[in-house]
Amino acid sequence: MFHAERFIDKTIVSLQKEIKGKALIAFSGGVDSSVCAALINKAIGKQLIAVHVDTGYMRKNESKQVKQMMEDLGLNYRFITASKEYYQALRGVEDPEKKRKIIGEKFIRIFETVGRNEKIDYLVQGTIAPDWIESGGGLRDTIKSHHNVGGLPKDMKLKLVEPLRDLYKDEVRKVARAMKIQVSERQPFPGPGLAIRIIGEATPERTRLVREACDIVEKEIERAAEQGLMELPWQYFAVLIPIKTVGVHGDKRAYGNTIAIRAVQSVDAMTCHYSTIPHDVLDRISTKITNTLQEKVNRIVYDVTNKPPGTVEWE
Amino acid sequence: MVRINVIDNGGQWTHREWRTLRDLEVETRIVPNTTLLKELLKENLHGLVLSGGAPRIGLDGTLGNCAEYLDNADFPILGICAGHQFMARHFGGKVKPSKAPEFGQIELTLCVEEDPLFTGVLKKSIVWESHNDEVTTLPKDFMKLGESENCTIQAMRHKKKTFYGLQFHPEVEHTQFGEQIFKNFIQLCEE
Repeated sequence: MFHAERFIDKTIVSLQKEIKGKALIAFSGGVDSSVCAALINKAIGKQLIAVHVDTGYMRKNESKQVKQMMEDLGLNYRFITASKEYYQALRGVEDPEKKRKIIGEKFIRIFETVGRNEKIDYLVQGTIAPDWIESGGGLRDTIKSHHNVGGLPKDMKLKLVEPLRDLYKDEVRKVARAMKIQVSERQPFPGPGLAIRIIGEATPERTRLVREACDIVEKEIERAAEQGLMELPWQYFAVLIPIKTVGVHGDKRAYGNTIAIRAVQSVDAMTCHYSTIPHDVLDRISTKITNTLQEKVNRIVYDVTNKPPGTVEWE
Repeated sequence: MVRINVIDNGGQWTHREWRTLRDLEVETRIVPNTTLLKELLKENLHGLVLSGGAPRIGLDGTLGNCAEYLDNADFPILGICAGHQFMARHFGGKVKPSKAPEFGQIELTLCVEEDPLFTGVLKKSIVWESHNDEVTTLPKDFMKLGESENCTIQAMRHKKKTFYGLQFHPEVEHTQFGEQIFKNFIQLCEE
């Protein structure tokens, strides 16, 4: 069995040996990077600098909340707004692998700049097992290049430290609970963010649509779970499918995009079953998204694919 | 303590096999399939798992050094997916691209009343699959243990040795009796 306390003690000792000097941590505010930050903080204390990048592909108010979180945790942090650069870099890019690699490289270039300016040699990442497994290499096929593994540029200067490489999400949560980390139960959110929840080009306008839709899906599902109407899924969100279909809005023809509702049950992200969302809840989500996004979105579909054959995210 | 290593044939779930064994308090390690047998035997091995992987056993008959392990092992071996297909092909069976590949949730039906690997497993149960190829003809020395609607050889065993092959994936969370199957395999390795 996996023993969180044993893991924590062992990891702190090995981190103290591994890191000589200052380290920066790529801090998204999710459970993996929060656990990493807590472990490194115990190992090297003030020598740790947390870096959060607002890529422009974060969820509603997310970066603001992460900033607050870094304050609350008493982390020595740098908050970097880079949304313009990311939108620019992804202009015209439709291929999901290209998106992931561009985003991965951009993260590293930002971290390298911070590293150079502050004389830091080590980059800590909250990489977990599915990230490197799915990124492939050797005999293993590449399912998707996770930005923190397959998306790393080859000429990267920083030395990587990844204390959670052998863990799955359920094990990271156990560590988080043992360390009393607030976000221990937070649902996963991919590093490339909303960019991979937009099929096709991830323009600022499409990002706005999927951000709004994700917010509605999250709130409605959380409310339904609180009311006991359904089990809270392992992960739940919206995907923007820029395929236009015909609708009717106030006696006039509408011709807008499609949004897919995705929710899955899993333990470790390696196999997933799609979540059963009650029809009443689907109904509320559907009406709310179409009424909020109006002429932009007039069709909602519900994804009923398991993993395999699908993956959790669409890209 | 029992040691069962996992031979990595490049599967998405190789590390899950390692985790399942570790969770069941077995000494275990992931080893590349290019490892020579004599290197493997430097550790006191009680059993081996041959993982699945991207290699298409239905199209190409090689899988690292797995042949050497199967020819010389005096301990139990559990082949999963590509590991299972390779085991069948190596002992003279046939493996072909599946007419109806299976991905995700499938019903497994056991076709024997009793087998130590399936102790405590119901005759019909949910298993998870992910394969493009499958065993179409059993090797001479093997017997069939299970099937599904679209795949006639889901589980097989050697008639004399403790070699098992499973087309489905007992290591993933969603396979109903996956952990039980691993417990049974560990028990076979302890004997």
